[in-house]
Amino acid sequence: MSSRGPQSVSSSTDALAAILQGRQRTGREVVVDWVRSRTLANSWPALAGVAVIALLLGLQQLIEPGTMRLLSAVFMFVALAQAWNIIGGYTGYASFGQVVFFGLGAYVTAVLMNNYHVSFWVAMPAAILGGVLFAVLIGVPLLRLRGHYFAIATLGAAEGAREVINNMTPVTGGGLGITIPTFGDQAPTAYFGKPGFYVAFLVLAAASVAISTLLARSRFGYAMVAVHEDEAAASAVGINTTVVKVVAFGVSGAIVACAGAFYAFQQIEFYPTDVFDPSFTVLMVIMVVIGGSGSVVGPLVGAVGLELLSQFLRVNLGTYNQLIFGAIIVVVVVFFPQGVVNFFRDAWMARRFSLLDNIRRYRL
Amino acid sequence: MIAEPQTVSDPILEVRNLSKRFGGLWALRDVSFSVSEGQIVGVIGQNGAGKTTLINVITGHLRPTSGQVLIGGQDVTGQHPWVIAHDRVARTFQIVKPFRGVTVRENVAIGAMHGNAHDRTVRDALATADELLALVGIEKHAHDAPSQLSVADARRLELAKALASRPKLLFLDEVMAGLRSQEIATAVELIHRLRDSGITIVAVEHVMKAIVSISDLILVLHHGSTLAMGPPAEILSDERVIEVYLGHRYRKTS
Repeated sequence: MSSRGPQSVSSSTDALAAILQGRQRTGREVVVDWVRSRTLANSWPALAGVAVIALLLGLQQLIEPGTMRLLSAVFMFVALAQAWNIIGGYTGYASFGQVVFFGLGAYVTAVLMNNYHVSFWVAMPAAILGGVLFAVLIGVPLLRLRGHYFAIATLGAAEGAREVINNMTPVTGGGLGITIPTFGDQAPTAYFGKPGFYVAFLVLAAASVAISTLLARSRFGYAMVAVHEDEAAASAVGINTTVVKVVAFGVSGAIVACAGAFYAFQQIEFYPTDVFDPSFTVLMVIMVVIGGSGSVVGPLVGAVGLELLSQFLRVNLGTYNQLIFGAIIVVVVVFFPQGVVNFFRDAWMARRFSLLDNIRRYRL
Repeated sequence: MIAEPQTVSDPILEVRNLSKRFGGLWALRDVSFSVSEGQIVGVIGQNGAGKTTLINVITGHLRPTSGQVLIGGQDVTGQHPWVIAHDRVARTFQIVKPFRGVTVRENVAIGAMHGNAHDRTVRDALATADELLALVGIEKHAHDAPSQLSVADARRLELAKALASRPKLLFLDEVMAGLRSQEIATAVELIHRLRDSGITIVAVEHVMKAIVSISDLILVLHHGSTLAMGPPAEILSDERVIEVYLGHRYRKTS
């Protein structure tokens, strides 16, 4: 009955045994190998990124303060969209309460600077830490939920957190708002002004793009994709799905909280309804979905495109700008259900540019 | 004192009185068996006999209602799947579960970059993936999407993914279902090569001929309970097995 025999012990078995043995490379070998593999051909995205940042820093000298403020908002939304994409795009957990980290970051910064006269450069890292801790606190129970249930739970967490801040009047000023001291000896850190915030939000946007890029290409990035596609299959190859989800949520929360910290300082005075405004979450989701989720370029394109469009419509259309903005979003989602960037990438690879074909492919 | 390796090796897998109940249905009832290192154990049974549930409970995808699972002498009952995977246990899924958003090659690389003996870099994992794709014979699909694979190739991908985590104990859930006879012959040869490389294999199968030719031991499940366990020859002549599972056709031919 047995078909085992010496003939089955062949060189291919040795090859298999070698694979199963694994590659035990030292950390030094890995680093040396990576350095050697760097060429101009595979480093161009990083170089292009540095060039764009240099260009935008130079641009700052040429533009007027109003434009600077507009571009600061664009940079902030680039960071928010990249952050949402880490948990909602790569990991596949669509959070509808990501603004909670924005609001917490803003309030941690404002409370520390106003009540305790702490420097912004201490308050901002504290806000990031607060974002991470809160992500772990609500992530551990909520990330057990999937799909709509996770979306609703995160939405509830954000609304709940706003009410808590609203009612902690002695600490946060409650519904009367909070003010960060910015003048004279009262100011723990000198106000940045429009040029300063332009640079600050540019650095934040660049950092978020860099973090997303590094994550996407790492083992952790593949783990997020595996969790997104199939959690049972992911856990079967040894991926701790709970850790992956909570860490992704934490990184996302840290970036959003950092954006909230800068936003708070920029605004000087704000109310809970400002920094816990659900429309921040909605914009993050729309920017990622329209740009193309699960990539670095998608949220970048979505954030820049939509924020510039929304500002353009507000300036030029007056009363009806929100209506037109909404209509444009609907049209884009109908024609590019997978996101603009993903459509053009797939269309380029398949040499099929028909929009009607695209609609048919993705209809439900 | 040098004894035969087969007789002294401790069981790599030991299942003690394992039961799993779904509501009023016992999917598994008091199943006990053990597998020694280097063995190929076949698990057969009718649809709904509890074969896949058995794999799911052992690999941590389901919690048992009662009973114990020991891997390498350690109690892993009710542990998370990734904890069990880190004990160098891998499995395939009967309903294939590829990661659809990435290429075939990246699917396998994901297996190689996680788990107990993982590659340190994505690049190493991709190199491992290329070797494994060549081993299972789907290297020409490396850069395709998993959805473009045929049924047979999708099962090969499933196997490559499981091997990428470098298992010592491998559970195969119907890897030969839906394959043509030539493909089955290739699969049987591959399973022998896996065992010769030191992997212990537990294979759930419907394809009777294949399982008989590769197994050292066969476990027959019937309504969640152990009907019989023994070497293939013994199982094929067991009256109860013939009655409930094989039918009269096999009585004549074997």
